[in-house]
Amino acid sequence: MSKFQALSPNSYGAARRQKAAPFFLVTGIAAVAVTVGLLGLGIGAQYIPVSEIIRVLWLPDDSVSSIILWELRLPRMLIALLAGASLAVAGYLLQSITRNPLASPSLTGVTSGAAMLVVLAFVCLPQLISPYYYPFLALFGGTAAASITLFLSGPTLSSPLRLALAGVSVSFLAAAVTTLTLLSAGPQTGTLLFWLSGGLQGRSWSQLLIMLPWVVPGLVCVFFCLRPLALLSLGDEPAQAMGVNVRLWRSLLALLAICLSAGVVAVAGPIAFVGLCVPHMARMLGARTTGTAVALSLALGALLLVSADLFSRTLAAPRELPIGMITALIGGPIFLAIIYRQKA
Amino acid sequence: MQPAPSSSMSGIASSLKKNRKIPAQQLSGSRISGGLLGLVIFSFPIVVILAIFLGTVDLETAETLFALFGEGSQRTDTIIAFQRLPRVIVGLLVGVHFALSGALLQAITRNPLADPTILGVSQGATLAVMLFLMFAVYAGNSDGSQLFTIPLEYLPLAGCLGGLIAGFAVYLLSWQSGLSPLRLTLMGIALGAVLHALAMGLLAGWGSTRMESILLWMSGSLYARGWDHLIYLLPWTVASLFFLPLLRRPVRLLQLEDDCATSFGLSVPLWRSLALAVGAGLAASAVGVVGPVGFIGLVVPHLARYLSRGTNQHFYIPIVALLGAGLVVGSDLIGRLLLSPNEVPVGIIAALLGVPVFLVLLRRYG
Repeated sequence: MSKFQALSPNSYGAARRQKAAPFFLVTGIAAVAVTVGLLGLGIGAQYIPVSEIIRVLWLPDDSVSSIILWELRLPRMLIALLAGASLAVAGYLLQSITRNPLASPSLTGVTSGAAMLVVLAFVCLPQLISPYYYPFLALFGGTAAASITLFLSGPTLSSPLRLALAGVSVSFLAAAVTTLTLLSAGPQTGTLLFWLSGGLQGRSWSQLLIMLPWVVPGLVCVFFCLRPLALLSLGDEPAQAMGVNVRLWRSLLALLAICLSAGVVAVAGPIAFVGLCVPHMARMLGARTTGTAVALSLALGALLLVSADLFSRTLAAPRELPIGMITALIGGPIFLAIIYRQKA
Repeated sequence: MQPAPSSSMSGIASSLKKNRKIPAQQLSGSRISGGLLGLVIFSFPIVVILAIFLGTVDLETAETLFALFGEGSQRTDTIIAFQRLPRVIVGLLVGVHFALSGALLQAITRNPLADPTILGVSQGATLAVMLFLMFAVYAGNSDGSQLFTIPLEYLPLAGCLGGLIAGFAVYLLSWQSGLSPLRLTLMGIALGAVLHALAMGLLAGWGSTRMESILLWMSGSLYARGWDHLIYLLPWTVASLFFLPLLRRPVRLLQLEDDCATSFGLSVPLWRSLALAVGAGLAASAVGVVGPVGFIGLVVPHLARYLSRGTNQHFYIPIVALLGAGLVVGSDLIGRLLLSPNEVPVGIIAALLGVPVFLVLLRRYG
């Protein structure tokens, strides 16, 4: 990273201000995300005052609010934070390695492919497969779908049109198979549909445990890959000139992105638009270096999903809205704006 | 309306000249495609007849024939006259609509991969139908008292309106001192994704009792389509038959670069908008009746272009219509017989057949 800053024509003072500002921005947004999450702990069918939250979080006991917090709301909040962060980082990775503003877990078909295999397993082999294997299935499905999409989007990967067309059709094929499975699923259709539109309802520690081994190492790994990531986003030739094995690193980083999305999809279903919009928001907020952009995406993604989850629980209470709808309402206009601003 | 091979000058010349010379290599290819064309024309009536004679209920051929002429027993009359026959006819019309709409949209977006699903029309119609159904259910049963009833016969109308509104929104959003084909496609995909996410959310959040029927509609099904549905389709069919001859020359010119088309004296924004309106109307009316059957509109123009090589260009549109109708009725027949007595929605069969073709096309053209 430091090499790039040395190359940039900024004066010393400007560079130092730039260095300080992103740090505060990232910590600020992360703090807001955690605060929203903590405040959300109190809101729900049973209102819990802040003092009670603090007391019970510190010293869990057998009271009702303690059980609600520890068994229902806390794991759910953690899942929302982690899922948002990993989807956003996965989106950033895919956008950087393809240098394509529209690349994201949902638009490359990763989430649809992953969802297809999970639904198939859920309906056809319910006894044989434990939920702990769902991320593996999601990984297989996601990798297959992404490979087809990327193979079809041409040698350079950077044409938004081809990527979008290939991704849409791959998702469409996966969705057709999913719908066919759903139609024969009978009474399970409702559960599966709620999962398919992305939901955190009823997720608890066991689901968090399914997700953790995929998401946390993935997020940590990204910070060790910043240099090749930054160089790849410059272009194949510059990256090669700087000594990056382009093919190897591109596949590795794509796999990392798919791992991150697979862990999330297996637990929370395909949540669209987070991976697409958050990296753009990070760029709009002025993330200059790759490290800042990744950190900012991580914090923003966590904030977006935690607030979306809060909305989904409260807007139509006692009913729960699917979280995919909230992210579509927030992310959709941003998505349209990205395309609107593209030069034809 | 047969697309020009390229935008180069020779491409323009050859596409505008009526009697162009056919190279020897293309001639042998055109013989194969000519044979295939004959096969398609020959097998079309067979598919239609099979679709009437075969089904979940096993009927004797003679019984079916009697019923067709109104002389059968009451049971066979009901099955043939009120179930299979209208179903096949709706299938034929819907196929024509999707295929023609695909051909128009591909031509005006200069994108060999355009299709009602990709331009967001199908998703808009889906969302509208879902809103309509939910509104109908909730208006009907608030606290058990019937406030007012909304007749479900208006469902196709709602779908059609939703599709048209989505198409119009895509059109407005991609207008930027002219209508660029690239922006049109990208904006269609974007708006389609947003509308689809909203529809899925609505379905999961409020679908409850109507979940499965909505899901069936969403995957595009000809199940229980009757004579009523024809009434929604026919005006659009007639209107498009009226417009198509008018659009013939402009649409062929629109496949050239915009400057080039203008220099032939064509008002590009006007005709592109008009063609888009006709294409979206055809697709939206069909989606309103059977739900989003994807990829018929995408694949058929390509197949038709291949089959009509070496024949007169006037045959292109009839071949598109014939193929679309045959494919929809054929897919529906497969869907009815595959897991009989259960039905696989025609949209799923069409997607399973169409997407691989699409991927090959994308690899070749993109």
